[in-house]
Amino acid sequence: MSVAVERGERGLAGAGLRQWAPAAAWLLALLLAAVTVKLVLDAAVGHRPLVPASPDISAWLRGPGQRLEYRDFLILLLVFSGAYAGLLALRGALPARASIALVVALHVVVFVGPILLSTDVFSYIAYARMGVEHGLNPYTHGPIAIMHDPVYRYVGVDWKHVATAYGPLYTLISYPLAPLGLKGALWGMKVEALVGSAGTLWLVWRCARARGYEPAWALLAVGANPLYIIYGLGGAHNDLLMLMAMMAAVSLTFSGRDGAAAAAVVAGALVKVTVAVLLPFMFLARRERGQLLARRERSLLLGAAAALAVSAVAAFAAFGAHGLDVVAALNRDAAFVSTDSFPTEIAHLFGKPGVFPVDHDLLKGALVVIVALLLWRTWHGFDWVAAAGWTLLAISVTSTWLLAWYLLWPLPLAVIARDRRLLVATLAVQVLFIAHQLTPLLAPVS
Amino acid sequence: MSARPPTYVQGRSPWRSSARRPGGPQLWLVESVVLVLVGLLIATATGNDLSRQIHTNHRLSADMSTWRAYAHRDFHSLSVSQDISGLTTNEIVCGNTTPGLPKERVQLCLLVKGPVRNGTRSVAGGWYLPARAEDEHRYRYACFGAPAYEGRCP
Repeated sequence: MSVAVERGERGLAGAGLRQWAPAAAWLLALLLAAVTVKLVLDAAVGHRPLVPASPDISAWLRGPGQRLEYRDFLILLLVFSGAYAGLLALRGALPARASIALVVALHVVVFVGPILLSTDVFSYIAYARMGVEHGLNPYTHGPIAIMHDPVYRYVGVDWKHVATAYGPLYTLISYPLAPLGLKGALWGMKVEALVGSAGTLWLVWRCARARGYEPAWALLAVGANPLYIIYGLGGAHNDLLMLMAMMAAVSLTFSGRDGAAAAAVVAGALVKVTVAVLLPFMFLARRERGQLLARRERSLLLGAAAALAVSAVAAFAAFGAHGLDVVAALNRDAAFVSTDSFPTEIAHLFGKPGVFPVDHDLLKGALVVIVALLLWRTWHGFDWVAAAGWTLLAISVTSTWLLAWYLLWPLPLAVIARDRRLLVATLAVQVLFIAHQLTPLLAPVS
Repeated sequence: MSARPPTYVQGRSPWRSSARRPGGPQLWLVESVVLVLVGLLIATATGNDLSRQIHTNHRLSADMSTWRAYAHRDFHSLSVSQDISGLTTNEIVCGNTTPGLPKERVQLCLLVKGPVRNGTRSVAGGWYLPARAEDEHRYRYACFGAPAYEGRCP
């Protein structure tokens, strides 16, 4: 009797929750939109380093906002993250059209606002202007070579002497923006990031549907993610173009167009080389037992080889041999150390002041072992999308140079992978990253 | 030929996608245990780092309060740098002696050390810097306290 009553109460509670879920989801969606508006309006007032020095592209938003202090930013980031987590937990409570509208609204609001949290976009513009306006090779010179150019003062202090680490395709894509002037180029970069994000999200939708998942939920999980919106889109990072190429490759694979998929991976790698890790997993997933090179494997290899050959010729013609040496640039950046990286935190945990060269070698060794294990698992039937996602997550976690937008790399794969642990791990790592930013909130220096 | 994507199952999400565990349940379990252990390691490292940073920030606040109390000036544009003469928590706090833009007036630098007590730390001594000068050995003058004995002024 008592068990029956208890069950009945639970049922009523469940029904009550189900009844309230749509209202709660709508509230959370409105909260997300409101927080984003507040963040952008406050950022438009300007405050370094959260809002880096920039040509004034958002003066018309000035007025209702107040100067974005670090504490306020962190509170907004926490509220945004909480609302996002709530929306994911209330899966299905927000109608698909409302999910799309929310993601579109977040994008529009961030697009019209100032550049947030990073000076990288000015490095992109500087490299483009070096090539187009000054006739310099961005693969052999840092922005210091154009110190009289108007963009130079906006380039981050750490990058003034550094030649570009981005792929030749990205550099060529950015070249048409150089003659548009500083503001024009900045808007062009914002448009590129917006297109990259829209493409990524559309492909996430397609891939989720192809795999039998709720596309609206997958869209929300990527397109309303705090690091994706505030850091990735807010900073107009070229990672969004890389993600679009990555998801195009996944989508093309799902529809059996392996050659085009491999070409898409190569294109993505020529924006940012990290995405090249997808290729071996795609290849192993296509492997058909008993045949050395089956039709789909051949198609994949041919697609990759053709794309690589065309882009190598274009890169060599545009930038010489330096434009082809993306691995050297990757190695150079891999030696950098940021305070937010997990290896640095682990070094501190063990009483070391930071990571040393030997730690870099250990981390590279660990990464090789992880990738080898994932390749072996893919060979034996593990979902290649999940394996590629785990590899991207492992790269960001073992990197000594970790930036918020690096933690976006595995996210689009995680929402469509057949291994739910990947999504849990990706979101957990993002939570740890955000938690590590909270010191000024918990202990302000005054 | 492109395959037609299957229609999605209402209510299904990646959260519920691992019903089938490729590689078998044992391998899945081993992997999950390793993942949890790695997760615990980086969560502990993050927590430790956060706590370390909070401790550092408290110390920085105490350093600045110490300078204000010592100099009887309620200035907030103070520069704090770690005393790199040893692996200690000793810090050097510099600020203007009269109102003005940062480093635009004669500056008083204090060597601050010891634990935080009542929001401040101990002053072991210090020196002065001329206006618009960085804290370099050649610019220091009128050393007092421990820095005078340690030869920190030319």
